[in-house]
Amino acid sequence: MSQSPESPLLAIRDLQVRIGPVRAVRGVSLEVRAGECLSLVGESGCGKSMTAMSLMGLLPRQAQLSASDWHFDTLRPGSFSARQWQQFRGEQVAMIFQNPMTALNPTMRIGAQITEPLRAHRGMSRKQAQREVERLLERMSITNAAYRARQYPFEFSGGMLQRVMIAAALACEPRLLIADEPTTALDVTVQAEVLALLDELRRERNMALLLITHDLGVVARMADRVAVMYAGEIVEEGSAEQLFYHTAHPYTEALRASVPTLSHGDRLPAIAGTPPDLRSEIGGCAFMPRCAYAMDICRETPAYYPLEAGHCSRCWRWHPDCPQRGLGAGDHG
Amino acid sequence: MAAYILRRLLSGALTIWFIATATFFAMHAVPGDPLSNEKAVSPEIRANLERRYGLDQPLVRQYGIFLGNMLRGDFGISFTQENRRVNDIIREHFPVSATLGLVALIMAAVGGVIGGSITAYWRNRWPDHLLMLLVIAAISVPSFVIAALAQLGIVGLNRVVGLPLLPVGGWGTLSHLWVPAFVLGLGTMAYLLRLMRSSLLEIMESDYVVTARAKGLSPRQVFFRHQLRNAVLPVVTELGPTIAAITTGGFVVELVFAIPGLGRFFVQAVQQLDYTVIMGTTVFYGAFLVLVVVAVDILYGFIDPRIRLHKRAVS
Amino acid sequence: MNSVAAERFRAVGAERQPEAPAEPRPFGLLQVLAANRRAQLAAATVLLLVLAALLGPLLWQQDPAQQWLSQISRGPIGAQTVRLVVNNERWQPLSPVSHLQSPEANTERVRLQWPAVDGASRYRIYRSDQPGGGGLGIPLAERSQPWFEDRLKLEPRSYRYTVVSLQEGRPLGERLTLELEPQPAIGWFEAQLQGLVPEGADPQSWQGRQLSLPAHPLGTDSLGRDMLARLLHGARTSLFVGVLAPLLFIGLGTAYGAFAGLAGGAIDNALMRGADFVIALPFLLFMILLRVAFGIGPGESGIGPMIVAMVLLGWPGSARLVRGQILKLRGEAYVNAARLAGAGPIYLIRRHLLPNVLPVILVSLSFAIPMAIFTEAFLSFIGMGVSPPTPSWGSMCNDGIKSLLAHPHELLFPAALISVSVLAFNMLGESLRDAMDVKLRTEPL
Repeated sequence: MSQSPESPLLAIRDLQVRIGPVRAVRGVSLEVRAGECLSLVGESGCGKSMTAMSLMGLLPRQAQLSASDWHFDTLRPGSFSARQWQQFRGEQVAMIFQNPMTALNPTMRIGAQITEPLRAHRGMSRKQAQREVERLLERMSITNAAYRARQYPFEFSGGMLQRVMIAAALACEPRLLIADEPTTALDVTVQAEVLALLDELRRERNMALLLITHDLGVVARMADRVAVMYAGEIVEEGSAEQLFYHTAHPYTEALRASVPTLSHGDRLPAIAGTPPDLRSEIGGCAFMPRCAYAMDICRETPAYYPLEAGHCSRCWRWHPDCPQRGLGAGDHG
Repeated sequence: MAAYILRRLLSGALTIWFIATATFFAMHAVPGDPLSNEKAVSPEIRANLERRYGLDQPLVRQYGIFLGNMLRGDFGISFTQENRRVNDIIREHFPVSATLGLVALIMAAVGGVIGGSITAYWRNRWPDHLLMLLVIAAISVPSFVIAALAQLGIVGLNRVVGLPLLPVGGWGTLSHLWVPAFVLGLGTMAYLLRLMRSSLLEIMESDYVVTARAKGLSPRQVFFRHQLRNAVLPVVTELGPTIAAITTGGFVVELVFAIPGLGRFFVQAVQQLDYTVIMGTTVFYGAFLVLVVVAVDILYGFIDPRIRLHKRAVS
Repeated sequence: MNSVAAERFRAVGAERQPEAPAEPRPFGLLQVLAANRRAQLAAATVLLLVLAALLGPLLWQQDPAQQWLSQISRGPIGAQTVRLVVNNERWQPLSPVSHLQSPEANTERVRLQWPAVDGASRYRIYRSDQPGGGGLGIPLAERSQPWFEDRLKLEPRSYRYTVVSLQEGRPLGERLTLELEPQPAIGWFEAQLQGLVPEGADPQSWQGRQLSLPAHPLGTDSLGRDMLARLLHGARTSLFVGVLAPLLFIGLGTAYGAFAGLAGGAIDNALMRGADFVIALPFLLFMILLRVAFGIGPGESGIGPMIVAMVLLGWPGSARLVRGQILKLRGEAYVNAARLAGAGPIYLIRRHLLPNVLPVILVSLSFAIPMAIFTEAFLSFIGMGVSPPTPSWGSMCNDGIKSLLAHPHELLFPAALISVSVLAFNMLGESLRDAMDVKLRTEPL
């Protein structure tokens, strides 16, 4: 599915976001095709949420954004007015958030919150919307839908609330769903159910899914393609298989190593050091100060070096002239 | 919910009893008995009062008589205005104070909510700075000074226009009402404005507002459906204590603007040591304030579903 | 892709950057002051007010109760020398004059004399204090003789006198006018009262002597008392009540709350139920009531009863606060850990309780002070605070509001001082609260 030849649903090149002195996103390029799940991975503060917010047109007021070649199907979000953004959000792209307990209005009935997009975009009457709510809730496997639609968020569990969030997001059948850490705040058992539901809905509607997470387990389960972000830029991109079995960036490798598995010894390796300060200009590779493979050349900014079809890495190790090309060659310091 | 209301009413009644008791014993702590003050009371009235309040009886007995009278809603007869019942005084003057206070409260609530919304929306820009400066002024300048300045302002305005546009004081027509009510509500307005501002700022950052925007709602829909209602909740809970502030603030405003309200009457009674009027109005005011706070608590329960439904679940 | 020299791919190892040291959070009074410009301003203002109250009356030694009858409700005036005018007998001019005139006009008396007008049976004398204006001003008197002595509330400013001749009650065409500015003077009675002349002195020998009067840099009030002296003494009253009452009731409340919180169980329950009742009393209403109950004897200032009333009504707030903190702390894991490790009660109180409770107390104190200043002003304004002649800012406002239209300075000076001190204490409290990260509900007044 990921290798479908048609043109991408969403494409953006060289996305830059500045918030005051902080360069939160530093030249991110993305492509998502219809029906595809692209996962954006990275530790907190790496700019993945900012990227998602940029795609929704929901950056904070003081943020400055620049991008080139920004397409959504035939639309050009780069030149949207405030009104066009409004029509775009909820109708074309929808978003769900990390914590469903706080992402729903505590003083509004569940049903009303789900039907808001329908009433805003489709001009549905209260009656029509109510029937639609029941259909949606039932699709999310919430029983007793008519009764539950009249309840308030505090009467729901976290997993149920995330289903409600998904129902509200999918009410207008958007073509892209952005899920920002959708399962981080949930119990482990509920996580699997929500992920399964998301996967099912994506296939059913041929909807694109941009899944933002720091959990490599989620990535392995859901993603067709993966983009790894570090310090505001994408450092490696490829299919999920390529990333897991042919890891091509030292940061991805370090991330993978810090996932707890049974084969590790008694101590979980953490990545030493801290991410760079995004307020100052970063010369060269941003990961260099923490990298076990650091070389003299890493003081210069690397480009994306292709490995195989659809897989590239922003690491000097994959430069054609590099004598010890690739990772894992032994000189771990 | 019914049990919750009942519990609130019960504790309210207990509080009123305590206020009445405290009033009684405070008045009886006055050196000598209330009648032995040098203000001449005619012998008939004196005898009448002694019989009526059982002043020759032991304290406990007097307390019983007092409580009985209060329960029947009988506050007695004024010491200084002979043959005038305290009940009549309250009935005559309280509506004036209540009108003034209600208009002040409405002005304060509306102004506070609108002003708070403006300052939060234009945070750290000139409307915010300007309003917050006014708020600081309204909080630090005593109400009687604001009232006096308002009178100066009225005089100046009338002089500039050349017509008696607004009266400097008195009561009777709508034009007597606006300026005193505004002055009375100003401190509360400033307080509610600050409350609304911080509550709105917190909500503007909240996740569900981002969700609402992500659904493609217009800024107006986001503001009215998601931000305003939630931001007003803490303002509503503060309305109860606020009414106490407006009631006592009314004393001064009524005094300065020469408005024949119960507050001015109370201050006069205090200055003339008219004990029955003091006791009667204190208990009346105390009971009134307690009931208002109970009413606001119950009202809040209806607005916030979390409280309403929890209470129902408990009952 | 450009080719790159092979030696550039030499491994160098990770080049760790030193981590920036975390900025220390400001804590404590001095650090708060150092960090915050507004707090500095507020603290400086508070310091200034306290200094004014402590040292002001020593530096400006006028008696705040001394009444200058010749200088009632005056704006700022400097030190001056004035003539002593002894005015004991009725005046009668010796010889007729050719035009309206007034020799030696002074603020004790303005003697007007004019030539008799043919056909006029009486004369009506008007005085206007707006010499440029059109009106005649207030009618002072009607006389049948062509002279008049004006002693009515004269001030050293320009007046225009108009004499209208009357025939059988109707004005003749003739009008005489005179503009003049009386010289400042002081009468015999007042000079004696203020001790400017020795007792038993002969009035006639002192007539016309120059006496020097003290300056009134902020003017005088409606009883001719020096505003500056009253403001400085008023600062003592207002700040004394404003600081002492909160100190006392917060101290009492802290002890009460700490006892309830540490005792726990049924004792705690009963004690806090009591506090709930006192909190339910409408504050200002009961302040007035208690003030009436305590009464004020002759010669007393009323400061003591006011402080006692404030303490009686004010303590439950901090009692609740402190008890809440203690209950919260008792549930904290680190306190339990310390207890399990064998820490004694003294250690627990010193090491865990005090550092957590102290900031809360300090912040609520700095909010209680402006509230107490306001309360004192409110009570004194309605005449239920300090009793005259003790000056306080509130009672000065009460005096000043009566002559607001004519002499606004009598209200504005004390009002400004109340506002500035309330603002300064509030700002200090807010800076402290933000710096110490204390969550407090501030009640509306």
